[in-house]
Amino acid sequence: MPPIKETRTKAAGQPPIIEIDGISKSFGAFKVLDQLSFNVAPGEKLALIGPSGSGKTTILRILMTLEGIDSGDIRISGEHLYQMPGNGGLRPADENHLHKMRAQIGMVFQLFNLFPHKCVLDNVTLAPMLTKNTPRKQAEEQAMQLLEMVGLADKAKSMPSQLSGGQKQRVAIARALALQPKIMLFDEVTSALDPELVEEVLNVLWRLSEETDMTMLLVTHEMGFAHEFADRVLFFDRGKIVEDGKPEEIFRNPKQERTQTFLKKIIAAGHRV
Amino acid sequence: MGQWAGYLQLILEGALVTIKLTLLGSVLALIMAFVAGLGRISRFWAVRALATAYIEFFRGTSIFVQLFWAYFVLPLFGFSLTPLQAGVLALGLNVGAYGAEVVRGAIRSIGKEQYEACIALNFNRWQSLRHIILPQAFVLMLPTFGNNAIELLKASAVVSLISLSDMTFQAQVVRAQTGSTLMPFLTILVLYFLMSSVISYSIRGLERYLTRGLDGVRS
Repeated sequence: MPPIKETRTKAAGQPPIIEIDGISKSFGAFKVLDQLSFNVAPGEKLALIGPSGSGKTTILRILMTLEGIDSGDIRISGEHLYQMPGNGGLRPADENHLHKMRAQIGMVFQLFNLFPHKCVLDNVTLAPMLTKNTPRKQAEEQAMQLLEMVGLADKAKSMPSQLSGGQKQRVAIARALALQPKIMLFDEVTSALDPELVEEVLNVLWRLSEETDMTMLLVTHEMGFAHEFADRVLFFDRGKIVEDGKPEEIFRNPKQERTQTFLKKIIAAGHRV
Repeated sequence: MGQWAGYLQLILEGALVTIKLTLLGSVLALIMAFVAGLGRISRFWAVRALATAYIEFFRGTSIFVQLFWAYFVLPLFGFSLTPLQAGVLALGLNVGAYGAEVVRGAIRSIGKEQYEACIALNFNRWQSLRHIILPQAFVLMLPTFGNNAIELLKASAVVSLISLSDMTFQAQVVRAQTGSTLMPFLTILVLYFLMSSVISYSIRGLERYLTRGLDGVRS
């Protein structure tokens, strides 16, 4: 798995694909995100790390419109995510606007969230057929290519319950890719897997990063992988970005005490950095 | 023994009426269960209110009273129904109200993660419901739907009170004519039990058919 980060920094100079501008979010009295701002360049591979409850998963969920925001602004490819133009100003986004915005974003979940009543192939073809009116034959050809890429072409007719965790997660990745999103969100995609199954999923992520120029946001506890894979690492704590930099800087020379403490704990817990 | 054959004939004619009532009533109940069950989870306040009112009203009043309303009171407002129509209407609306709560409960029991996968895959609300939520929820509804159908079959005996000659009505006729209670009521006891067994086995078969994919290979 050769790191090829240098070739990927072509994004510099292009306008950001994701602009997060002072967003806050609370669950009851608990402030998950506190005036958070950062941009993501097109094609950038971004790792979001930090202790649980620091808000990193919430950001992915907000980008996928699974959670709303209390204040602030998010723009995807220059367009407001939660607002739309209307009456000479901006008004809250309606379902049509959200539908249009979601088409650019794909998400893979920690617990796969496959459809248990549909075979692997149907899991992958359903979204293009329903949301893009792709004819079945074409959707199936495309799905088979994706399943080929994640190494599961022979499981096309299996039901999700017959697959291992790692296989399920690879199907979930193929399913999200079938909509050809510009941005992929990976929410702790290996956290629920047995240790020996983690690598097969990470290999798929490697392959994706090498073969596509998708923007990828990765919430992970796999520090070794984040180190090699990401162009940039954000360290979160208590709803704020504590440190933002290249993986070498964050993992080898963390400037902030909170980052140092977190990484020490992770290493003590046996994770490779 | 010869006379019993004629009386048995009468009871079997009644059995046909009971089967007809049960089938038609179940179809109406199923439709009402989905209409009101989905209405209960609608985004629109008025739809939710309407569905709730229907469910509470029909669960909260006796089927006997509902039947009398359908048959004797509605004509006063200009809606005349045949006894069969009144029976199907009362049974279907009554059992449908119970079914609606089954539909709602089953839909609610599908995990949040399935809804989130639908949003992430950009399905709209109807597509999520139609392709992801309902197929999974329907399997969960089946056992209770089976119970409801059996309840409907047994409740169908109340139509004998509006002079519809169902199985129970015919048994009473036979009893009045022969003075024997044992023969007609033993016969319909067995027939009701056979009919409810058919419902049970059909539902169980359907359930097995629909869940086969969840742990086995499809096709």
